[in-house]
Amino acid sequence: MASILPARWTRVRRAVVALGALALLYGIAAAIGADRLPRRIWMSPHYVEDVELLPTYPSLAYELGFLVESGILAGAVAVSAGRVLAGVVLGSIIGILLGLATGRATRLEYLTDPWVTFFKFTPALALLPLFVLWFGYDEVSKVLLIAANVGVVVLLGTHQAVRNVPGVYLEAAASLGASPGLALRKIVLPAAFPQVFASIRVAMGLGWVTIVVAELINPRMPSLGYLLTLAGAYPRVSTMVVGIGTIGAVVLLFDMLALLLHARVTRWMGRSA
Amino acid sequence: MTPAGTRGARLEAVDVGYVYPGRTATQALDGLTLDVGDNEFLAVLGPVGCGKTTLLRIFAGFLRPASGTVRCDGAAIDGPGSQRGYVLQEDAIFPWMTVRENVEFGLMARGIDAAGRRAVSAELLDLIGLSAFEDAHPKELSAGMSKMVEVARVLATDPSILLLDEPFGALDAQTRARLQEALGRLWEQRRKTVLFVTHDAEEAIHLADRIVVLSSRPGRIKAEFRVDLPRPRSLETRFSAAFSDLKRRIWEVLGLGGVSAREQVPRIAGS
Repeated sequence: MASILPARWTRVRRAVVALGALALLYGIAAAIGADRLPRRIWMSPHYVEDVELLPTYPSLAYELGFLVESGILAGAVAVSAGRVLAGVVLGSIIGILLGLATGRATRLEYLTDPWVTFFKFTPALALLPLFVLWFGYDEVSKVLLIAANVGVVVLLGTHQAVRNVPGVYLEAAASLGASPGLALRKIVLPAAFPQVFASIRVAMGLGWVTIVVAELINPRMPSLGYLLTLAGAYPRVSTMVVGIGTIGAVVLLFDMLALLLHARVTRWMGRSA
Repeated sequence: MTPAGTRGARLEAVDVGYVYPGRTATQALDGLTLDVGDNEFLAVLGPVGCGKTTLLRIFAGFLRPASGTVRCDGAAIDGPGSQRGYVLQEDAIFPWMTVRENVEFGLMARGIDAAGRRAVSAELLDLIGLSAFEDAHPKELSAGMSKMVEVARVLATDPSILLLDEPFGALDAQTRARLQEALGRLWEQRRKTVLFVTHDAEEAIHLADRIVVLSSRPGRIKAEFRVDLPRPRSLETRFSAAFSDLKRRIWEVLGLGGVSAREQVPRIAGS
């Protein structure tokens, strides 16, 4: 137990150093580029004046200040995070249920495997027009698009996790008189949990990847996806950098929360990751 | 539930054969007939790959014999059941449960309430000397302690038969000896019919009433020994003349000592 905490802080320290180095390099590049990069950019039908290709820290600070003060950023984060969470929760529930079923019943796996393989790598953008037609322009389409992308990942993770449950546990449970239901609840679920959870973590990241695409549907403020789309249309690079940085920070935060939860729930394991 | 040790259930194998399918099909057991009951402690002894585990898994209900029949108290065995407590060779303690939850698992499967489960687990943990660890997770236990928890877990539902598959096989010599003592004491307090599989002759002698030696692939009964050493058996038993005499006879059957060694020595000396 005691050995985990220092290890975690070492990792945090390394992450801070790595991100600090990135920030420093960017600062140097922006400072050098400020006077040298072109400010007049050809955007297909016309020229756009006064574009800052590598915004300096002062202009980033100004932009961040504006987005925070106006409440745009907070609103966008809240709305987008809500959609990601809803999509990930829905997709994970469906993925876990299907994964448990296919992991336990080989015959069902034969049936679903071709479907999963077929849709595994279908990009969200390809599904977008279809989802808009089927589910409309509102929240439903956005959440379902994330759920569809995320669900496949969790399904595969859960399926594999269930298959990896050591047979000795199932045999021991069966010879102790456990019914299939009890074995599922008390043996399969806890034994598979760490791997299922790992797939949900991946799904959470994928949810944030999908949200930017999902928010192209009926684009409206506040949302991080539309903020980025809008920034691209102007174009305003400082807004893009702040938006991308915000998404990165929120993903990091979500992942850290997930890891804390993971450590808490899997205290029984020999060594926490 | 039957009160501990009132009756000994009977296990029978009649002319049992088992073949592991595959590109090179392996005849693991062939024409094996065995009978154990009346709270007898029977040890099945044999080299690695002689089909001991196969036999036990057939009795446990996880394998169906290719030929012959297996019965438990006269009824054909057609699957696992908690009247035959089975301790696997591998570590099968549930690592996500506490020691107490492990011991209570079989009782939970029977739908016994928390208070009832608690009473049984407290008694068993006391019996194996692990009361202090009831809320610990298995990662905090030594390998020997884990194995005893597995034995206690099986005993919790008070099965009429115990099937033990080299439970102490992966442990160091001292821990083995200690757990053998513990198991011996446990069995003397709660008599049951036991089928104990091992490759260790000393372990078999120390614990069993009767020892069956299997031949290597296909497993057939090669010899049978009665162990008439007095109980309770202790450390002293291990160093008694009767003990080492029996061990020598078993080793001869296993082809490890005696005759073949004596044959070889003069030949080398004479050449």
